[in-house]
Amino acid sequence: MREEILRVHHLTYEYQPGCPAIEEISLSVARGEKIAVMGSNGAGKSTFFLTLNGVLTAQKGEIYYQGKQIDRRGFRELRRHVGFVFQDADHQMIASTVEAEVAFGPVNLKLSREEVKERLDQALEYMNLQSYRKRPPHDLSGGEKKRVSIADIIAMKTEIILFDEPAAALDPLHVKILEQVLSDLSREGKTLLISTHDVDFAYRWAERIVVFDQGKILADGETKEVFLQEPLLRQAHLKKPEMLMIYEALRERGLVRKGSYPREAGELADCIGGTKNDE
Amino acid sequence: MKKLNVLRRRRKHVHGMASMDFYACQSGIRHWNGSYKVFSAVLILALCLILDRPRVSVFIICSMGLLNMAGNRVSPGNYLRLLKIPAAFAVMGSAALMIGISAEPAGDFQISLPWFWLYVTEEGMVHALEVVLKAMGALSAMFVLALSTPAGELAAVLRKARLPGVVTELMYMVYRFIFILAEVHRTMRNAAVSRLGDVDFKTSCSTFGQIGGNLLILSLKKANTYYDAMVSRGYEGEFCFWEEEKPVKAWQIPALVGYVMILVFCRLTEGL
Repeated sequence: MREEILRVHHLTYEYQPGCPAIEEISLSVARGEKIAVMGSNGAGKSTFFLTLNGVLTAQKGEIYYQGKQIDRRGFRELRRHVGFVFQDADHQMIASTVEAEVAFGPVNLKLSREEVKERLDQALEYMNLQSYRKRPPHDLSGGEKKRVSIADIIAMKTEIILFDEPAAALDPLHVKILEQVLSDLSREGKTLLISTHDVDFAYRWAERIVVFDQGKILADGETKEVFLQEPLLRQAHLKKPEMLMIYEALRERGLVRKGSYPREAGELADCIGGTKNDE
Repeated sequence: MKKLNVLRRRRKHVHGMASMDFYACQSGIRHWNGSYKVFSAVLILALCLILDRPRVSVFIICSMGLLNMAGNRVSPGNYLRLLKIPAAFAVMGSAALMIGISAEPAGDFQISLPWFWLYVTEEGMVHALEVVLKAMGALSAMFVLALSTPAGELAAVLRKARLPGVVTELMYMVYRFIFILAEVHRTMRNAAVSRLGDVDFKTSCSTFGQIGGNLLILSLKKANTYYDAMVSRGYEGEFCFWEEEKPVKAWQIPALVGYVMILVFCRLTEGL
């Protein structure tokens, strides 16, 4: 059993009185977990992330970070441990050069100049952005901006990173880079929560799925368990992952070993190897 | 004809605020110390006004022009294009200095109009020319600064000069938002034009109004999102930005002193 890092208890947030964007959300996150948060537009995913980050203060409910309850003054502290990569990278860009942009978080953490410089260099190298240092962010392409917005959070060295639909509007090359970065981060022990509409990505990457529907948690469980519940997927307007459909079709025809549930094409190919084709 | 129009329109986009920023980012003297650049530009501007001699002005126009082309990497054609608008203002303004009105013929050259005469004296022409040169000299010095220093760095210098934080922060925000608004405006305009929003003058006007209105609402919404994004990265009411240290190089101070001495020398030797 992994150590719990973050827990929310009966969290409710209303933008307007009487219309909660999220309602009675209770959830516990373990250190190093890879969680995909799914649900249709307006289901409350982004609001949930903003409350986890301490930007929005929930009207009801509590947040515990490493077992310690976050009070009103603790939200600043929460932001030091929870980083948030916004969906639209443009919304995050504030400084006039890439360098100053990535250093914005560390400078706000009131670190020493040497420490800021070190983190800046590390984060730029991590996202392969050294040659962009002096460029103004408004001069970059969408994919490059996304890389800068991720470097922003990496430089803050938070234990938990929230990604709000990170793959939205990215080209295939940048999606690949993104997935590589996600797997690197998780290898380094970071706890990652990603909101996404891409069921195939979620099935491939996540170890746990949380499904939001109309501000409430509809399901929360291991990836395979969640995607096997057809009525649940219908209710949340989620498609079944392609890989799972192919696997089930092959299994019905007796072409793959039972119970293997491959996540990627390579794994699927390995499963097929075990049985002979009838024809 | 239609094609020509499109070309002209495109050119209008290239020059303006965005191109100034573009030049500042690629300038060969961007790495010079910001405070040094601001100080020397203001000093040269002040000397151009105080010394007040055409010879000094011409020297400043030429030397700063060279610096803009060689140091700031602006091609001669583009530099002249940048100078065009302020030069036009200076010339128009000097016309008012040059031309006099009187009830009877006067001056060295005159035109008779019903009820009055427009006249020009030689003295007035020289005076007007001097004013134009002085204005262009001051302007060239400011261009060196504007074409080598992005607005963000300029704000940092002003902050160091103990300007109130709210002014420099506003400068930062305005600078950042101009590009966002321009981008939003561009996409909205393209979307409108693609649906024939500029089919005739009346439609164009109403499209313009709607874009303006939407821009306001959008910018308010965006401002909120930006604030959230800043708060999520630890913003606590005061902008702190990372600035690279750019020390003043040893040769730069004697170079400035030498330049000032040449200007003073130009002034002293005039009329000898």
